Amino acid sequence: MNRRHFFLAAGTAAGCARDARPRLNVYNWSAYIDPAMVARFEREHGVRIRYGTYESNEEMLAKVITGNSGWDVVFPTHSRLGPMARHELLTPLDHGRLPSLGNLSARFQKPGWDPELRWGVPYLWNATGIAYNRRQIPEPRGWDALWSPALRGRLTMLDDPEDVIGICLLKQGLAFDSTNRAELARAKAEAIRQKTLLRAYMNAEVRDQLVAGDVLAAQLWSTTAAQAIHSAPQLGFAYPAEGFPLYCDNAAILRESRRTELAHAFLEFLLEPVAAAANARVAESATTNQAARALLPDDPVLYPDDGIYARGLWPPALPAEAQRYRDRLWTEIKSA
Amino acid sequence: MNLRSAFLLPARVWSAVFLATPLAIVCAYSLLTRGDYGGVERPWTPENYTRLLDPLYLGILWRSLWMAGLATAVCAVAGFPLALFIARAGRRRNLLLQLVLLPFWTSFLVRTYAWLFILRDTGLVNTALLRLGVIRSPLPLLYNEGAVLLGLVYNFLPFFVLPLYATLERLDPALPEAAADLGATPLRTLRRVILPLAAPGIAAGCVLVFIPCLGAYLTPDLLGGGKTVMLGNLIQNQFTTARDWPFGSAASLVLMLVSAAPLWFLLRREAR
Amino acid sequence: MRSTWRNHGAAIYAACALAFLHAPLAILILFSFNASRFTVWEGFSLRWYRVALEDPQLAEGLLNSLVIAGVSGVLSTVIGTLAAYAMWRRGARVLSGMLYLSLVTPEIVTGVSLLALFEGAFRFLQLRLGLHTVIIAHVAFSIAYVTIVISARLRSYDRTLEEAAMDLGASEWGAFARVTLPNLAPGIAAAGLLALVVSFDDYVITSLVAGVDSQTLPMVIYAMARRGVSPVVNAVSAFIVVAFGVVILLSERLQRR
Repeated sequence: MNRRHFFLAAGTAAGCARDARPRLNVYNWSAYIDPAMVARFEREHGVRIRYGTYESNEEMLAKVITGNSGWDVVFPTHSRLGPMARHELLTPLDHGRLPSLGNLSARFQKPGWDPELRWGVPYLWNATGIAYNRRQIPEPRGWDALWSPALRGRLTMLDDPEDVIGICLLKQGLAFDSTNRAELARAKAEAIRQKTLLRAYMNAEVRDQLVAGDVLAAQLWSTTAAQAIHSAPQLGFAYPAEGFPLYCDNAAILRESRRTELAHAFLEFLLEPVAAAANARVAESATTNQAARALLPDDPVLYPDDGIYARGLWPPALPAEAQRYRDRLWTEIKSA
Repeated sequence: MNLRSAFLLPARVWSAVFLATPLAIVCAYSLLTRGDYGGVERPWTPENYTRLLDPLYLGILWRSLWMAGLATAVCAVAGFPLALFIARAGRRRNLLLQLVLLPFWTSFLVRTYAWLFILRDTGLVNTALLRLGVIRSPLPLLYNEGAVLLGLVYNFLPFFVLPLYATLERLDPALPEAAADLGATPLRTLRRVILPLAAPGIAAGCVLVFIPCLGAYLTPDLLGGGKTVMLGNLIQNQFTTARDWPFGSAASLVLMLVSAAPLWFLLRREAR
Repeated sequence: MRSTWRNHGAAIYAACALAFLHAPLAILILFSFNASRFTVWEGFSLRWYRVALEDPQLAEGLLNSLVIAGVSGVLSTVIGTLAAYAMWRRGARVLSGMLYLSLVTPEIVTGVSLLALFEGAFRFLQLRLGLHTVIIAHVAFSIAYVTIVISARLRSYDRTLEEAAMDLGASEWGAFARVTLPNLAPGIAAAGLLALVVSFDDYVITSLVAGVDSQTLPMVIYAMARRGVSPVVNAVSAFIVVAFGVVILLSERLQRR
């Protein structure tokens, strides 16, 4: 078989079904939408959605930063929205085409990072707190519970500098997003002190070990914790007293998109209560949609009451210099 | 055009466009400045390199060299008898070779998670040892340098076995037999006959193992629990979380320079 | 007597080494039949296979991965073998330096720099990232693996064989095709296998140069594993291992005959 045959075979195998329907290219976090909803949108609008997934904001940014990625709709985390807009990567939203924006919960109607909802529609959100084994340890009140010597070897922290350094600051009554070098040095010392107790820095993989009982307490996202609790009721999730970070992913339209009308229709579809509820259920994450909330079971892990929620904070994008300094501290913590 | 240059042409074109050009881009990045969120901007500066001279980063370099060297040594010791056995297995050679590679058709991530399951507190090894009464409480098998080493050896052992096999397979079985007939002890036959003839394969295997180990980042993250930083983690972090591509590029170029040493050795051998 | 003892020793060692390589496989095949979604045994079930079979993303990813591994495996084996042979006849320092350098490049750097190259070039060419960019990238990093394996074999290859063939009137090409190539066959097979496996398993570079419509199996698996390893991933892995195992055994049978 010669080379041309291979290319032909590759072309036909991969590019199959080149239908004439208009295409919308949606680039989203993995496991973050109900495939049935994608299919429904395709049916209702007579279009074809090409759906791709990414694992981090950086992976998405690396692709879209040149303005020639081919994607139409992306889902940046709230702190990336402003910088992306400033870099002229996003199209301002046309609210005339998004009549269902009113379905959003009050707190997502005017979010601090994008008060007029000019660049993104809040989609799903979650918090960082403490997942713990209720049978074996008391409920953690604050972040300092993660410094308890009783947890030695059975404690994990997220493998993420923002979250780890941030809570080391919160624990000492300092700001999560501090850029003060003396304060950051104190946070680093706390992190290094904690490291002797630590089993590992890890993210979602800790879920299995919480369920199996290897790990007794973990700094974890509410979404992952909710998944673990569904199958292991002996687990619990605590929102620490000193405060905790919140994260929200937003549906946004890229400036390079030539199908902004269709993209708006897709965003409008995501706001529809039934679709929003289905997506939140599949993603096992918290919806921003008030109307969809009514269709979902109540879950105190994903939706803490207002008193707890008030302690949460939305981390902003850090200035380049601060980001760089924190990264150095992170390397020092990890090498300690 | 003679045969030789015709044979070289495709590789030359491909590597000029898809290897050399990207490399030039990385070199340029390493001399630029970090943009606000991941981009690369002017002015030109050597600062990314001077930052690397910090003892913090030199320590990371040293640790990576040590781990990669250790993993290569273990692969060599463990892989040599396996490659020799396969090369002498007669008609079953291909089957055995395929068996060595079979696990690698599964995703790297899945293989690593399988090790997590074997090694963790409630995992197979600890459960078995506890049931047998050998130990009282689970051994901390995971999240230490030993687990990282195991992961590296596991993932790169085939990279040692394959080139060595390709060399040993050509080895005339009559040679060691002749040596034995002449009264050489097995150890002596191995040292004086087999090893020198297998040297190119061993060298190629060592390079194929050492280099990826030096840049490994997922194994230290998953099996080491992210509690140590290797050069690969540092670089990965610069291109992802820290969004500092220029510094990441500079660190990569240093990594490449460091791994070029064994390569240079290999090329020298080849030139001879 | 001693010699058979030694042979048994070698066989036992090889069996242990293979057991070491296959232990994780056994685990993941076992847990693909687990009723629980977590790695805690709750009973036998086939539900994950059903989920895997019904997942269109997995099917698309598998197809893409096979196409990419096949095309890039063949291309890089051909290009790499020819280059290794030419370099063996007379060194090509720049090229071999370049190839070895590509081995040394951290994956993320290869990925990011290729992405920069593609996006820079494509802006003028009106092209987009896709399956073709993934194949190009895979060939680029596989050539070095192929070359290094074949070169190792060629170094212990007796040059006089080829010279003898030419003395007997064979052309340059004839000597290569009739004498050297058959001699290289096991090396080429080993190199080709390595290229296939390396391509099939790659995630970091692939995820960076993939575009719309080129999700590969490792990308789908990574996406699933982000939420903790799901047994669906185990089921897919078990399926792949068994499928390739059967292919290997069949080809072995066919060769025997």
